[in-house]
Parts: sequence; structure tokens; C-alpha cells
Amino acid sequence: MLEKLMQTRLFKWLDERSGAEAIIKSQLTEYPVPKNLNYMWNFGSLALLVLTIQILTGIFLAMFYKPSAALTYGGYTVAFDSVERIMRDVNFGWLIRYMHAVGASSFFVVVYLHIARGLYYGSYKGPRELLWIIGVVILLIMQGAAFFGYLLPWGQMSFWGATVITNLFGALPVVGEFLQQLLRGGFSVGDPTLNRFFSLHYLFPLLLAAIVGGHIHALHVVHSNNPEGIDIDKKDTIPFHPYYTVKDAFGVGVFLTIYCYIVFFNPQMGGYFIEVDNYTPANNLQTPPHIAPVWYLTPWYTILRSFESKLLGVLAMGASLAILFFLPWLDRSKVRSSRYRPVYRQMVILFFICVIVLGYCGHSAPTPTLKLVGQIATGYYFLFFFALLVLPKFEKTKPLPDRV
Amino acid sequence: MTDQADQSRRNFLYVAAGGMGAVAAGAAVVPFVASMMPAADTLAAAKTEFDVGTVEPGQLVVIQWQGKPVFVVHRTEALLKQVDGHDEMLKDPNSEAIPEVQAEWMDTPEKRKYRAIKPEYLIVVASCTHLGCIPLFKPTPGRKDWGDSVPEDWPGGWHCPCHGSLYDISARVIKGSPAPHNLHVMPYKYLSDTKVVIG
Ligand code: FES
Repeated sequence: MLEKLMQTRLFKWLDERSGAEAIIKSQLTEYPVPKNLNYMWNFGSLALLVLTIQILTGIFLAMFYKPSAALTYGGYTVAFDSVERIMRDVNFGWLIRYMHAVGASSFFVVVYLHIARGLYYGSYKGPRELLWIIGVVILLIMQGAAFFGYLLPWGQMSFWGATVITNLFGALPVVGEFLQQLLRGGFSVGDPTLNRFFSLHYLFPLLLAAIVGGHIHALHVVHSNNPEGIDIDKKDTIPFHPYYTVKDAFGVGVFLTIYCYIVFFNPQMGGYFIEVDNYTPANNLQTPPHIAPVWYLTPWYTILRSFESKLLGVLAMGASLAILFFLPWLDRSKVRSSRYRPVYRQMVILFFICVIVLGYCGHSAPTPTLKLVGQIATGYYFLFFFALLVLPKFEKTKPLPDRV
Repeated sequence: MTDQADQSRRNFLYVAAGGMGAVAAGAAVVPFVASMMPAADTLAAAKTEFDVGTVEPGQLVVIQWQGKPVFVVHRTEALLKQVDGHDEMLKDPNSEAIPEVQAEWMDTPEKRKYRAIKPEYLIVVASCTHLGCIPLFKPTPGRKDWGDSVPEDWPGGWHCPCHGSLYDISARVIKGSPAPHNLHVMPYKYLSDTKVVIG
């Protein structure tokens, strides 16, 4: 099909003016991909799909959403009411909003699995360090975009979540107060905050789109890792198109089935995707009994809560994300894949469990037991990274195969 | 132009021109960053007037000042007694840690303890000094009304639902709380017997 298209006169015309043929060849039909990739390699293309969904639905939502905390006659606010109008009056508004809200959570599910894949198979190791670093930047921007977006409905969780997080910046010495006012545009979260968060919520996905371009470019320079984690012989590769376009398309089918089921039948996911408290309009005089961020930010929230000192908590939370940048150099082992690193394999699986535990603790109301569990999990989170420094001294890796 | 062009002179010009450009770019950032700081109307810090006489004995009222919540508590004799006897549980019993937790009129140990111009009316900013949630008022001592959300030797005061900070009935933070400071005392004065102007 693609070959037929490429023989048309229109394509020839295009090619002479854009070099389209060379691009298609180098990036698709002759782009070499290891033949042994498993389904964990589907999440990259899925993430791109969800990003597209988010940008598209977001553009349409912005046609109806109004970022203002001014009070309305109903006693609510313009922003809150405009979201409810999208849900009730705008044609298919409910669908577009649920696609966007479920899309946000799906984005994190897909990206966290994508990162887990990278950790398990050592995809962050040389020569893919830069690819990994760009990926961490993408993660940070995603978290920022999600945080800004969560304020927009101007419900109780929006308001108090933003209050708590902007207060975090206030904990930093010297620049804290300045940063806090810069984010809020006032002395507390209010109308100016809502306006700028809307602006930034629109900006960040566009940044994301550009950086994702860089991520893919970096990938296409160093090529995909594979489950064996070994350098691939030319003979063991197959072209991206049609082999992996078909496999990715299959993944898209499976993903969309689940996604549509949630969008249509369970868009709030029992309060995990859209928190129940956020259907109460923001009230700056009353804190909800229990404040928790949406699930995808809860692991970091637990790390924050695990420290008595506010400043330490903030620094630890920052460090837990920043340490990801250094992972390629913390891990000294020459072997990439967990398949040939018995100790690392145990450690990384425990790390995944630890992040899930952190997430659970952050989502629940604080109790002394959970606090202790959270502290232990936080300890392991950091231990994992530093243990990698010395691990190669003790770990006996299994012999690597020459070819896959 | 000969091969003998003075390279060091050229390099100097490159650096000088580049430096000027960098300074200009830096200066251009200033208005944009400044635009994000609180605007003039936000800064025109509206003062809030309030009649503390409207607060019943033992009652807590939350009012607004500059968009921030403010607690006004009418402390009864019994509540005032609860201020004493647990100094060793407090991080900063004399409200000395930072300027925001004290005021000029706090010139006697008594005033530092009650943290109010008139001891029976406590007026403090209602944002937990940890991350800004509004603490819940749990004035009676002990656990019988509050369950295990408070410690067994609870002297009565506030409990922050977000991360469990505890404050006593003078809004002084209790050791072991994630919050670093006592609740802030903002500037206020009495216009008449019960009329207060905050700000
Ligand atoms: S905001 Fe009150 S304890 Fe964290």
C-alpha cells in the first residue's frame, strides 16, 4: 500500500521538494528494529496516541471552559459552572471531558509502564542515556501539566491540592516566598492563579509535543533496546514498517478497548480518576477532611509526608525525581537486561512494588502505621538507586548470548 | 584583511557583543517575571474589620482577610487554662522562632503565651504552617471527643487533617508535627472594645 502510494506522480512531486522518500525509508520502511521486542515495547506508541488525544480534546474543551473564580448568581464560580455546562449543555461535552480526564490517567498508566520497561531491561544505559534523560524531562512536564490542569475545574480538591503544592515551594529557603507568589499571583490561591494555570496548562502539552519529537529523534539515532539487552546484529533486525506498525496497531486496539470502556462506563474510576470531592465547588474557608492528589502523584506525596521537617520533605520529593536523571551513571553494571542480572531483577521488582506501596500510602488518610510503611518504602526508593553503585561488585551476571 | 588579523581583539569583540546581548535578553525577562507577581489591585491589601463581640464564648469563627482564612476564637476561662502546663510539648512555646508568629505587643511572657491582645479573643491566620490546610478545631482535652486523631495527652487545640499537625489552644505547634511554626499572628488592632481591624 505504502509502496503503491510512493510510486504515484504526486508523491514524486512531493519527494523532489521535501525528500519525503528518504525520510520514509530511514524512519519507517528501512528503519531497523530488533526482531525480539515483546509487548512491553508497545507503550511508547501508546503514549504518543494518548498525547494526541489529550491535545485534541483539550483544544475543544478550551472552547467552552472559562478560567475565572468570579462568583455566579448560583453561588458557584464561573470556572466551576463552565465545567458543569460542558457536562450538561454542550453537545457531547460530557464525552470530550471524560475523554480528557480518563486520558490524563491513561497517559500516566502508559508512561509509567513505559518507564518500568526501561528500568527492567536497562534501556537507560549507554548509548541511550540522552534518550532516558529526555524521557525524564517528559515525565516532569507531564506531571506539571497534570497539576495545572487539576486546578481548572475549581473544585475542593483542585483548590486545596493547589494550595498544598504551591505551599511546597514556599518551604525553600531564600527564593521560596518569591516562587510561591510567582505561582499564585497573590497571597493565596485565587483568580490570578486560575488564569495563569490555564495558560500554562495549554502551554505544557505543546512543549511536550516538541520534546517528544526530540525523544523519538534520539531513539532513532541509538535504536531500540531489546529484552536481551544486547547489541543487535544487523541480521536480527526487521524494518519498522510493516512489522512494528502492525504490532503497534494491535496494541492501540487493545488500549482503545479498555479506554473506551472506562470513558463510557466508569469515567471516574471510583474516585481514582476524578476525585469525588472535586464535585464540591472550591471553598477557601473549609479544607476537605482528607486531601490527596490524584493517584499518579501519590507516590511522591508520600515521600513528602514521610519527613517531619517540611523542608526535608520537599527536598526529598525533589530528589526522588531528580535522581532519575543520574540513573544511567549510578548503575555501573555493563549488563543491561534483568534477564542476565539475577540480583538487579529482584531489586527492580521490589522497586516497582515499593512505588505502588508509596502510591497507596499517599492516597489514604495518614495513620501512624501507614506513615511508617511510607517511610520504609521511601527509604527503599532511595536505597535502590544508591545500591546500584556497588551492586556490580557483588552481582554475578549470567553470560550474555551473542545473538538473539 | 590580512592573515595577521588581530585574533585576540576579535575575540574581545565577540565576547563584548555576546555579553551585551545576554544582558539585554536578561533585562527583557524582568517585565515578564514581574507581571506574574501580585498585581496592584491584589496588593491593595484590603483591611478587614470584624466585631469579635459576635463570637459566642467557646466558639470559633473563620473570617477572610486578603483571601486567607483567619480564626477568631472566643476563649472561655476553661479554655484559657488549657494554655498552661504543656510547654515541653511545644516547638516554640514563647513564639520567638520567626517574626510572623509574634507582634510588637507581645512584650510580656503572658502575652507570648496567650498570643492575643485580649487573651479571650485569639486571632490568627488559619493556614497550617506546613502546607496551608485549615486545621480542625478540637478544643476539649483528651481523646474522648476526637478519637485517635489526637494524642492521649491532648491539651486541646487544632488538628490539621492533611498531614496531622497539632496546635494547642494558643495555636502553638506541638512537637512531632510536620508544621514548623506556630500559626501566624497577623497585624491587628482594637478600634473599640470589640471592633477589630485586621491588616
Ligand atoms: S498542611 Fe497541615 S499538616 Fe500539612
